[in-house]
Formats: sequence, C-alpha cells, structure tokens
Amino acid sequence: MAANSTLLHLIDVHKHYTRGSETVRVIRGVDFQVSEGEFVGLIGPSGSGKSTLLNLIAGLDRPTKGQLFLDGVDIAKLSEAEVSQWRVHHVGFIFQFYHLIPVLSAYENVELPLLQFGLSARRRRRQVLTALKLVGLNHRLSHRPGQMSGGEQQRVGIARALVTDPSIIVADEPTGDLDGHTSEEILDLLDLLQNRLEKTIILVTHDPRAASRAARLIRLEDGRLVAGDESTIGAAFPGWQGTLT
Amino acid sequence: MRTLCTLIIKNLSRNRVRTTLTALAVIVFTMVYTVVGSTTSLVNRLVSSTSSNTRLVVVNRWITPSELPSRYIDQVTRVRNVQDWTIWHYYFGFLDESKRSDRFGLGIATRIDNLQAMHPGLEELDPASLQAIKHDKIGALVGLHMMDAMKWKVGQRFTLFSATHPGKDLEFHIVGVVPAGKWGSNFFFREDYFQQGTGDDETVNVIWLRVGNEETGRQIAATVEQMFANSREEVKVETEAASAARIAGKTESILAIVNMVVLVLLIDMLVVISNSISISTRERRTEMAVLKVLGFSPNFIIVMVVSEALIVGTLSGGLGAALAFGLSALNEADQLPYTIAFLRMFPVPVSFVPRGMFLGALAAFMGSIIPAWTARGIKVTEVFSDIA
Repeated sequence: MAANSTLLHLIDVHKHYTRGSETVRVIRGVDFQVSEGEFVGLIGPSGSGKSTLLNLIAGLDRPTKGQLFLDGVDIAKLSEAEVSQWRVHHVGFIFQFYHLIPVLSAYENVELPLLQFGLSARRRRRQVLTALKLVGLNHRLSHRPGQMSGGEQQRVGIARALVTDPSIIVADEPTGDLDGHTSEEILDLLDLLQNRLEKTIILVTHDPRAASRAARLIRLEDGRLVAGDESTIGAAFPGWQGTLT
Repeated sequence: MRTLCTLIIKNLSRNRVRTTLTALAVIVFTMVYTVVGSTTSLVNRLVSSTSSNTRLVVVNRWITPSELPSRYIDQVTRVRNVQDWTIWHYYFGFLDESKRSDRFGLGIATRIDNLQAMHPGLEELDPASLQAIKHDKIGALVGLHMMDAMKWKVGQRFTLFSATHPGKDLEFHIVGVVPAGKWGSNFFFREDYFQQGTGDDETVNVIWLRVGNEETGRQIAATVEQMFANSREEVKVETEAASAARIAGKTESILAIVNMVVLVLLIDMLVVISNSISISTRERRTEMAVLKVLGFSPNFIIVMVVSEALIVGTLSGGLGAALAFGLSALNEADQLPYTIAFLRMFPVPVSFVPRGMFLGALAAFMGSIIPAWTARGIKVTEVFSDIA
C-alpha cells in the first residue's frame, strides 16, 4: 500500500515518571512519522518503553515534553475530557488480554464505543453487524466473552476497535495471549484491515511472526529509537527463520 | 441510556450472592428501622398531641396511677374561674375470655354530658351515638382500632374482664364508634355505671378542669395544690401541655436510646453497602479502565456505580419497609399464627414504605459515593501496567 500523507507525527517526545526521589526516563526524545494506511511494528525488549509510547499515541497518557500530532491535532495540548472525546473518534485500541466486558454479549461489547456518537439504534446495529461480520463473528452475537475462545474474544476486541471507523488502530501485543494458529488468524485479520480498509495500524509486539506482518518496524531500546525506519525483521529478531510476507 | 441500564442490571447480576446478601442486609436493617421508627414516632405523636394550656389535669402527687378521694371533686370544681370539668375512672381489663395480652384494653368512665367538650379529638363523634349512651346505662363508645382488632360491630355486647377491679367484670353495649386518633384504642362509658358496677364511689383517678387561658390556669393550679397541701392525698395540678412535656421528658431518654439504635443501624447499612460497592469496583478496575479507553467519561463511571447502589438500596429499603408493614397489617388482621403484641400497640403505618425506600436510597448514595469517586479516578495506564 502506498503511503499517503502523514497521519502521526512525534517530535522529540519524552516521558518521565517520578518514583519517590527518583525520575525514571521511559521515553527519551523520540521522533518519527507514520503515514495514512501504514502498518508499523513497534518492537524492542521488555522495559524499552513500547507500551508507554503506544499509550502516548493513543492519548491514554501525556508526554512530559514534546509534540504528538495525530491527524493534525497536537493531542498533548488537549484537556482530559477533550482527549477522551478525541480518542473515541480517532483511535481504536486492541488489548493483549482482550478486555471485553464479561457481562455483555459480543454484540453489546462492540456497540459500547458507538454509544457516545448519538447514532440511531438502527445505524448502530448496522455498524456493529458490519464489524462483527468483518471479523467473522456474525454468528456469535449473543455470546458472552466467557462462552468464546481466546481467538474469538480477540476478534470481538478487533471489531470493537474498528466499529467507530478510527483514523488509527493501536494494538498492544494482540497475539500475546494466543496460540500459534490463532495468532496467525488474528494477524491475517490485521492484514485485512490494513489492505482492504486502508487502516493505519501500530502494533507493539515481542513476537517476530507478528512483527513480520508490519511494513515498517520501529525499534525502541531504553526509551530511544534505534535504527528507526531502517529496522528490519532480521535485525530486530536475529536468528529468526520465518519469512516476510 | 439503554446500555447504561443494561450494564447496571448486568453488573448487579454478576455476583448474585453478593448482591443478594447486600440486599438482605438492607432489608433487615430497614425492617428493624421501620418497626422502631414507627414506635418512636407514635409515642412522640401521642405525647405532643395533647398539648393544651387551657386544660388542667389534677392527679395524686405521690401515687401512680393516680387515685384521689371523690370528695375532692366538689372542692376542686368550685374553684373560681373553672369553666368546665370532668373525671376519669380507669377500668383496665381483658376484652374477651382468652385473656391474651393483645386483648388488654382500657375503658374510661367519665361524664357523658360534656364528653366532647372535655375531650379534644371527639369533635367528629356521631351525635346519635352520644344520645344513645345518654339513654343506655351500659352503653360504650368504642375506639375504631379496638373495634377493628376485636371485629366488633355497633349493637354488639361485650364483657370486660377487669384487672383493676377483680371480680367486677362489667358488660357493655356498643352504641357508637370513637374515630381513629388519640382515643382510637380505648372506650368510654358512663361513670354512674362504673360506680354502680364496681361499687367504687370513694375514689376517682383523674379530675380534668377547663379554664379560660394559660394565666388563669396557673392561678387555679396554685390554688388547688394549696388546698390539699400537707394532706394525706396531696395533689399535683398542671396544664395538659406541661403534663405532656413531663411524660415526654420521661420517655425522652428511652427514645434517645432507641434513636441511637436506629442511627447505629443506619451506619451499619451504610458500611455494608459501601463495603459491597468497594469490593465490586475493585474487582472491575480493568473494566472501568477499558470504558475510559473507549471514551466514557469519568462521570459516566460515577453514575454507573452510584446507580447500581441506588437500585439495590431503594428496592431493598422499600421491600424491608413493605415487609414490616405487611407483617403489622397481618398481625392486626389476626392472620399470623402468633400475635405480636408489640406490633398491635405500635402498628407500622403504610407511610413508612416510601420512607424505607428513601432511607435505602440515601444509605446507598452515601455508601457508594466514595467508591464511585475512587473508581472515577482510576488511571488507565496504571491499570494496564499492573496487568502487564
């Protein structure tokens, strides 16, 4: 997929935490851009700051310093309420452990984000069914998370992430809790989102198979970008014998 | 809105055992509150409803229940500025042969010619029944509650098995019904029948005087007390309001203890709800973080948590009060295997049902606001870093 205009632009982004008298510098001046429709893998060892960076991109946390533009908006400057509203419209989040609401059915879980859009029930239903059909779960509408397999739950999680038609989908280790075969199915689904719907996807992963699906890898180490755009699957995971798609 | 409701209902059914136990606790607390609360409210109402400053009550200073020589009547009622007067003879006993404690009743033998004038609360008494008792020596005007409890009808006869005058059981003919209210649980009958039937014409329990105003009342009280000072049967004269205040003073400490018990119950109810909601929100930290990620505002989280508590509190509070009311109503209608004498004396009014709902809702609101506020402040990144 040919890259279009810049969707995400990070400029000298820092994130520090204070633990007692100690300041922990988790992100130390990260700069990069992601274009519309790109599938980017965010990789690096544990504690390198991947999830923190993903939280910053998704507006779940604020940078200590720097600018973070998504769709032309510097989200670091928005208030908590504004960023919350902005996130509903622009970001779809896929979690490692799915985090579906256990008392709601698959349908109701996917419908949740739409409730803040003021849509008619009919329109909501249409969007929910479309999303669930896309992930191949239109036959499991009334099932609760506890009645579904891990792979199915993650599909519901993906449907929930894309039901609002967000600008960007961020996925934090989406295959981390799944077996190899199911992981492949989920990665195929992400590929589909990117290829067919031209969704911009940022994927945090430890898994070389998952990373291999990304068109570009961004490698973090100790809160800094290593190699940037030049990172390759081979460099990122030395000795990995898989093939790039 | 629909999904908020769905979410709330489903959250409540998530851990049914906990929800049921919380509801049960609120039901029991509200039931106890309702029974105790209706008792204190009835006592307060009875004490405060008799507060007149132009009616004087003359009683024996040292003996309870009061007993005065009959010869005092003439002396007391001749005092200047006494506008009207009456006397009371107490006639306690069982209203039927079963002699059950809940069949205990009080008859008041008094003057019939000025019955209404000397007994505020009898204004709505049927004039026909007043006429009837004037012509029927054994006639009785029976309180509505007593009529209902005994399932009596006008025209019926009954015998009171006397506890105050053993062996002097009198038969009565019901000629009228005293409206519900202050006198609803007693019956009135003629003093001449009392004297004839019991042979007691030497004593009287209470003398009532009506005066023009409060100042006159004070002067008469002083005069009458002075008349019998240092005699064997000293009297105490006070206005009805002062008498009520004195009774209230005596009951005050008991009511204060009862009210303390009610307060402890309320605090307990609050702690139970608060604890239950706290556990529930702690268990759902991740879900609440997810809701925030999905764009739901912190205020939505507060509304969700408080609403859950309000539903449990309001419904359980209402149910607890309704059960207490139902129990009381069944007890009054003799539909229970055993009669609860206490509830017979202090029946639970239906007005306590909405009060129970309000109480449950209030406790739920107060008990849930802190857990809800805590849940509101959940930090998404902290929750997910804990999970990772």
